Amino acid sequence: MKKTTKILLGLLLLAGLLFMADSFLRGYYLRLVVLFAVTAVTALGVNIVNGYTNIFSLGFGGTMMVAAYTAALLTLSPAYKKAVLHLPLWLEQMQTSFPVAMLCGGALAVIASTILLLPAFRLQGQYFILASMGVNIVMGNLAENLRGFTHGDMGLRSIPAYTNIWWAYGVLALVVYFIHRLIQSKYGRALVAISKDQELAAVMGINVVKYKIVSFVIGSFITGMGAVLWVHLVLTMNPKAFGLVYVFQIVAMLAIGGIGTISGTLIGAAILTLGTELLSPVQEGFSLLGFQIPPAFGLVNVLMAVLLVVIMIYKPRGIMNGREIWEVAGPRVRKNASS
Amino acid sequence: MEMSWHYLTQQLINALSYGSILALLAIGYTMIYGILGLINFAHGEIFMIGAFFCYMLVTFSGVSFLTGFFAAIAGSVLTGFLIERFVYNPCLKRSPEVLTVFIASFGASLGLRNLFTMIFGDGRRSFPAFDFLEGIIITESGIFINIKDLWIFGVTLFLVLATTLFIKYTKPGIAMRAVAYDANAARLVGVNSTTLVLVAFFIGSTLAGVSAVAYGVSYGIVNPSMGYIIGLNGFIAAVLGGIGNVPGAAISGYIIGMGEIMFVALLPPSYSAVRPIFVWGLLFLILFLKPSGLFRPNVKIG
Repeated sequence: MKKTTKILLGLLLLAGLLFMADSFLRGYYLRLVVLFAVTAVTALGVNIVNGYTNIFSLGFGGTMMVAAYTAALLTLSPAYKKAVLHLPLWLEQMQTSFPVAMLCGGALAVIASTILLLPAFRLQGQYFILASMGVNIVMGNLAENLRGFTHGDMGLRSIPAYTNIWWAYGVLALVVYFIHRLIQSKYGRALVAISKDQELAAVMGINVVKYKIVSFVIGSFITGMGAVLWVHLVLTMNPKAFGLVYVFQIVAMLAIGGIGTISGTLIGAAILTLGTELLSPVQEGFSLLGFQIPPAFGLVNVLMAVLLVVIMIYKPRGIMNGREIWEVAGPRVRKNASS
Repeated sequence: MEMSWHYLTQQLINALSYGSILALLAIGYTMIYGILGLINFAHGEIFMIGAFFCYMLVTFSGVSFLTGFFAAIAGSVLTGFLIERFVYNPCLKRSPEVLTVFIASFGASLGLRNLFTMIFGDGRRSFPAFDFLEGIIITESGIFINIKDLWIFGVTLFLVLATTLFIKYTKPGIAMRAVAYDANAARLVGVNSTTLVLVAFFIGSTLAGVSAVAYGVSYGIVNPSMGYIIGLNGFIAAVLGGIGNVPGAAISGYIIGMGEIMFVALLPPSYSAVRPIFVWGLLFLILFLKPSGLFRPNVKIG
């Protein structure tokens, strides 16, 4: 079978499965399936920067905040905006379609992350991580205080429910295809070279700074799209939505699944999305055989943290160990360079 | 003019406790970074757990202040050792990659914080008050000084001096500086860095425990996320002070603490909520203008 036929068949199969999921699953379970795709888009965007390019940034929480607020302000109804926010008139009147909001959200995420994080590129290693963390804190703080735009701690509500299974998986399929092609291209190989040894890559004639910036732009855009999908699925937005806990969960997904691979990111996103949702009834407390089990908020994060530490000790490169699932399963054509 | 001078002095006095809390935390960061080359992301949780040990014992067993104080130190040191034993040690043994260890310490930090949220809930709990720490001195010029601020400042000063002398003149102290400067060379001349890592964790966690009691006494509350922002501020102080430089870290703790309070005091009240922007703005500024910090760092740069 030719490769294109295989891909087409795969897409057809996926579409069939999604159609079945859409028709048979209801409410909670359907939402879970969609949430996985949304989270995976975000995680794949973060993976371009943190995985392939190896610029370990925690600043994507702030980036996502910008994208989510932008898109929410574009899709909310003018009446709601007039009632709770103080916006300039043109923004208050404006109501765009979902795709436009998604592109705008992605674009603003790129602008915000470039402005905020480019200066930090001068920093090395852990100092950069710390500075990028500061971006989250400062952005969260701004979102709490710019009440005219964000409604502060009270958050935005009644955001229209645009994200459905087709949007989520459509974007996910595009992103996976795009990243796969990107990494196979000359450009992607340069990124991987930079992540292995920056000095060596520079000596080989790779313009390190340029490649880093472009990878940052692409990653921020995809992460921003993930945030836009998320906000139109959850339908509320507040300054704490993409705070430290969310950032931690995404980092845990990448690290557990295998940073710098597409399949590892998807596996990590699946483990953590399903784990979080399955364990959330335990978190809220329940009664078992007449015993009242008290609620234990934070249990999911504790288990996730334990899993993360154990994986970091025994499999520092995650479950996929720097390889893609098709490289492990299929015949090994080329010696893999990333372990 | 007379009035504003008075106001500024009062604000500086108010910042004494906050500065002390940051100074004690900053020393812990700087020592562990110096010896392991790692940001101990879970230092804020070492601090938080110390505060909870003291709070639990004093509130529920009614022990004296001194017992509570040592319980806080014990809690922090225990946490520090557990983190070293179960996170840093196995990670560093198996893969020396900094990023892996950093992610693991990020996990340890979030895990511990959520564990305490799970047990105690995320609400604030009131830290007990102690009679001998209460009371206010009013100077002739009309400046108010809290007795507890004086105590906190005094104890901090003593500990900073003791740690500085330890690092400067004792044999383990000199060995620690040697490892921080060049770990391989230190190993070549027979320095046992495994023990020294434990010593660094012991001192850092002890100071974090003291800092935690100071926080409880000063703000009157404890909660599981108390170590997050204040821990990061402590680390910024360590960077500002030049990594590995103990007195530098302490002085920078006061600089950041006082700077933050002044920032709030001098701006109109509507800006007081944007305090974090001051601290992070300062960090960016320092990292650009003088990445090695204000004082001479005790690590090889580059």
